[in-house]
Amino acid sequence: MLVSDIKSRPVYSRLSIDAAGRRHLVLSDAPRPLEAAIDGVHAAAGAIDYWFIAATSTVDGRPAPEPAAGKDAPIERRAFRALPHLLDRLSHRLAQETVGLRLYSVGEEGFIWDIARLARDAGLEEAELRSCHAGSLRRTVFCVHCKTRTPQVTTSLAVCEGCGAHLVVRDHFSRGLAAFMGVQADAEAPGELPPAEELFR
Amino acid sequence: MSARTMPLRVAAAEPLSPRLKAFTLVAADGGLVHPSGPGAHLRLLLRNGAAVHRNAYSIVSSPDDRSHVSIIVRRTRDSKGGSALLHEAVKPGDVIEAGLPANLFPVVRTARKHLMVSGGIGITPFLAYIAAFQAAGTPWELHHFCRIEERAVFEALLAHAPAGRVHIHAGNAFGVLADRLARQPLGTHLYSCGPALLMEAGQELARSLGWPKARLHSESFGGAAEGGAPFIAVLRRSNLEIEVGPQTSLLDAIEAAGVDAPCLCRGGACGQCVVEVAEGEPEHRDHFLDDDERASNRLIMTCVSRARTPRLVLDL
Repeated sequence: MLVSDIKSRPVYSRLSIDAAGRRHLVLSDAPRPLEAAIDGVHAAAGAIDYWFIAATSTVDGRPAPEPAAGKDAPIERRAFRALPHLLDRLSHRLAQETVGLRLYSVGEEGFIWDIARLARDAGLEEAELRSCHAGSLRRTVFCVHCKTRTPQVTTSLAVCEGCGAHLVVRDHFSRGLAAFMGVQADAEAPGELPPAEELFR
Repeated sequence: MSARTMPLRVAAAEPLSPRLKAFTLVAADGGLVHPSGPGAHLRLLLRNGAAVHRNAYSIVSSPDDRSHVSIIVRRTRDSKGGSALLHEAVKPGDVIEAGLPANLFPVVRTARKHLMVSGGIGITPFLAYIAAFQAAGTPWELHHFCRIEERAVFEALLAHAPAGRVHIHAGNAFGVLADRLARQPLGTHLYSCGPALLMEAGQELARSLGWPKARLHSESFGGAAEGGAPFIAVLRRSNLEIEVGPQTSLLDAIEAAGVDAPCLCRGGACGQCVVEVAEGEPEHRDHFLDDDERASNRLIMTCVSRARTPRLVLDL
């Protein structure tokens, strides 16, 4: 059985603000309320920025600051049109950031692990990033044969976008590649495919 | 564990100040010295009559140049013999036995920038760091704290380094650090080496500015292994009872009794010398055991730790 409780499968717990951080940047792949995304908003030391993907052309990604209420840290919200819009601004932001920042991401696994990769490339340590899965369980699948990443896979069997191979989607997850491993299903008996089940909704 | 050693010949011994002396050591057989990396130290076996001192010194020369190794020795005021011996008795041409270089203070290869904070003679590992960073082109910044009267000595030691990266703070000028720690780009790692108070203050400041533990690195030298109340160590498996004197470390006493005990750094950092305690309560002075392990009183690092009880029974 290739789909199993394999150890590389990430385990997530609900996000909470790291009290040791001096600035906080929370990223979400959907317009969920900040308090629904993360605990400890009202106890945070330092400003919180909340960036989310609104998936609509009616937003422009500009900062919408909120005056700090009472003793709470100031919060600034930015709504982005799409993932590339958010990632583009995030790269700029991380290039200018200083040690003391904490990054948080909440969303589908494809999203949070793309953020993890970007954060690592920007020099963030594991201790400075917290990630939590929310939403669909669909997977990004890495074809071990042609190295193509196929996003948004919901079934146990997927067609590789690169080489067209029918891949068994394994539970073996790579943090480095931000994807689940996919191996050719009919490698030993060409054309003999197991039935595809919708597992990752 | 009997550590492998190598003989080194003193090629030059040069006073830098009344208390600092630089030694250039070459392989006694005329070949290349053993490879090492930035931050590595050398443990010299210094024989003074019947006494053997095992003093560790950071290698200050570039690890890429294996024609020699250089160290700088500070003569401590209450020297137990090692640094006084090097300052007074060791002359060019002498051959000294040394352990192979070991590194308990390595550079973090994934760091984007290296921020170094040193105090006094704690500059030594950073001289090798700087050579490596300059060769690799990695950004770095050094803040060195020293007494006013020693400023010129450290300026001379750092004279070859790019001026914009080196900041020497003489006298009581620790305050500048908060501003620098608050402005470091993501991916910066902090290294500190020097007096315990300076290192603790620097790390505490960094933590308060949001630096996670993974970015903080420090090397303590000396201090930890200083003596204390005498006690009896019972080596259960060897069936021996040994006296640990006020100026002797537990590890030295075990070795003097002829028992082969595990060890590596002899500074309470590496964890090699850890031994099970069957009876008695250890006085932990190491940097290796975690809080739970300390509280359990089941383990001891023989190189630096001592006993709170008159007797300590060890599984050795």
